[in-house]
Amino acid sequence: MIHHASTATNIAAPLGNEAKPGHGFLSLQGLSKRYSEFVAVDAVDLDVNQGEFVSLLGPSGCGKTTTLRMIAGLVQASGGRIVVAGRDLTAIPPFRRDMGLVFQSYALFPHMSVAGNIAFGLEMRGLSRSEISNRVTEAIALVRLEGRENRRPSELSGGQQQRVALARALVIRPSILLLDEPLSNLDAKLRDEMRTEIRDIQRRLGTTAIFVTHDQDEALTMSDRVVVMNHGRIEQTGTPEDLYERPRTPFVASFVGRTNRFSGTALGRSVKLGDTLVHSATEANGPADVMIRPHRITISTGSAAASGGQNTLSGIVRRMTYAGNLLQYDVLAGDLTFQVEEATLGSGRALAPGTTVTLSWSAQDTLVFEAKP
Amino acid sequence: MEEKPVSPVLKVLAAFGFLFLLAPVLIVVPLSFSNDVFMSFPPSGYSLRWYIAIGANAKLLDAFLFSVKLASLVTVVNILIAVPASYALIRKAPFGADAIMSLLTAPLLLPTIVLGLALLIVMARAGYLATPQGIFLAHLVVTLPYALRVIATALSTLPIAVEEAAATLGASPLSVFFRITLPMLMPGIVAAAALSFLVSFDEVVLSLFMNGPKVTTLPVELYHHVESRADPLVAAASVLLVVFTLAVVIIVDRSLGLAKTFVK
Ligand SMILES: Nc1ncnc2c1ncn2[C@@H]1O[C@H](COP(=O)(O)OP(=O)(O)OP(=O)(O)O)[C@@H](O)[C@H]1O
Ligand SMILES: [Mg+2]
Repeated sequence: MIHHASTATNIAAPLGNEAKPGHGFLSLQGLSKRYSEFVAVDAVDLDVNQGEFVSLLGPSGCGKTTTLRMIAGLVQASGGRIVVAGRDLTAIPPFRRDMGLVFQSYALFPHMSVAGNIAFGLEMRGLSRSEISNRVTEAIALVRLEGRENRRPSELSGGQQQRVALARALVIRPSILLLDEPLSNLDAKLRDEMRTEIRDIQRRLGTTAIFVTHDQDEALTMSDRVVVMNHGRIEQTGTPEDLYERPRTPFVASFVGRTNRFSGTALGRSVKLGDTLVHSATEANGPADVMIRPHRITISTGSAAASGGQNTLSGIVRRMTYAGNLLQYDVLAGDLTFQVEEATLGSGRALAPGTTVTLSWSAQDTLVFEAKP
Repeated sequence: MEEKPVSPVLKVLAAFGFLFLLAPVLIVVPLSFSNDVFMSFPPSGYSLRWYIAIGANAKLLDAFLFSVKLASLVTVVNILIAVPASYALIRKAPFGADAIMSLLTAPLLLPTIVLGLALLIVMARAGYLATPQGIFLAHLVVTLPYALRVIATALSTLPIAVEEAAATLGASPLSVFFRITLPMLMPGIVAAAALSFLVSFDEVVLSLFMNGPKVTTLPVELYHHVESRADPLVAAASVLLVVFTLAVVIIVDRSLGLAKTFVK
């Protein structure tokens, strides 16, 4: 897959100094898809570097699959460009795009063996018999399916079928590996294993990967960068930490991670939530959405004095839920109900409903978004 | 899955159903071994004389061979038309695909007698009446709807993602068709072929309209035989036909079963 880099520079060079974005190995420029009146993907701009693992994250129907299928060439774009290594692929049919796509349904060839499935892409490239057999053996070892070469897909478990699909897409050494919710049909434990495995393999091969998911954990734990989509548009692109700590829109804040959400009125560096005034680290004014992560709030029984920049509220525990690694509390403070999460420490301290408590969090954990008129 | 116990009432009903369907066969089999000169039931004595008589009846044997050749050719041409046609209509879905499909399968809905009359007029004009070409075209018209329906249905149930996967792996549309679509479509094609063959082999009305001295199918020949004579030869021929049809069905079922194990 490295040889694409050289073609990239060769082809890109004559084009010369392209301005601003569009410098990624994969570059989506104003990519759009309309189905008659309905806009499924709306002017998406995205640049992905070589070897990067980027997730498209968003709720159902936000256009993730459509975007991925446009990159693969299975859906014709209504507008915009898809550029890979400096080459405009927008009008190129899928079989000349050199991309590996892993489908949610796996889409294995039912009439071929595991080895036959994996060899297919190599046969289409007209490689020699020995080359094919070497690379198939290599790919089978990569996904740990040795000894199952001659099985039919119907004779494999879901996880094994997933591995075949992955090997089949990787063995052609695609310029970009595209994955459409590849783990959603697996059980929780296998899903965790496959996450690590896919990421390891991708790192080892240095493949550029686009991973579609609606599972925020998956996106955060696997990706170099995450693209949050909503209604066909990109809400925010950033590292998992960016999205979690510095969400730019209320949508991102509430979609990525759990959050307390209030509406209030911002007054500079503080916000009025009903009768309560809380401090924030950002300047804002007027009607605002306010979000505070449940696990950034400290819950204590003592009446801790307010320290500089700290928010302190006293309240009463209304509900306590034991979730194994977490204790979740609903706390009523004034007329606001806060969700608070505390890691369980094994010491067995769980506050019973009715306990009077103090909630505190630092000003920068108060996320304030000016409400759009 | 556990099978539910079948209620005795249902069993009795099913038995009557089978009896009703199989009654003609139950009468024809003893009749075919009759030693009488005329059809009468029950026969007064048993022998193989009518089976031997078939072997000596050149007209009947010729008609049988003609029917087999006709049905085989009709089947092959049917598949050659139905596979690309279904592919174009289902996968490419051109404007008006539904209307075209309805038009092509319309002969299924027409009474055969109407179709026969229409074909008679057309073939007479074209000078194809009582020619092998004429009867071949007539059979094609009535069997194509079956082949088309079966193959189109099979095609529309194939997961399109598998074909897309092949395309992303570098297969041109032609390679996708021959390496992926066609093998997965095989059970449907075998079923369509069997249906075409049997419908053509069994066809009486159109064949009667189209027939001539050189182009007589087996059912027509048998029909003529019954018209002029009332001997049990027809019963013997019927039994042989039942066996032949059963053989075709079993062969198809076997190969379909095989196809299923490697496709599903
Ligand atoms: N062929 C089509 N015709 C019309 N609308 C379509 C078509 N394909 C997709 N859409 C619409 O485009 C929108 C985006 O679909 P897409 O499949 O990209 O969503 P997604 O983000 O992948 O969702 P999910 O998480 O449910 O898979 C949806 O509202 C869908 O209804
Ligand atoms: Mg999707």
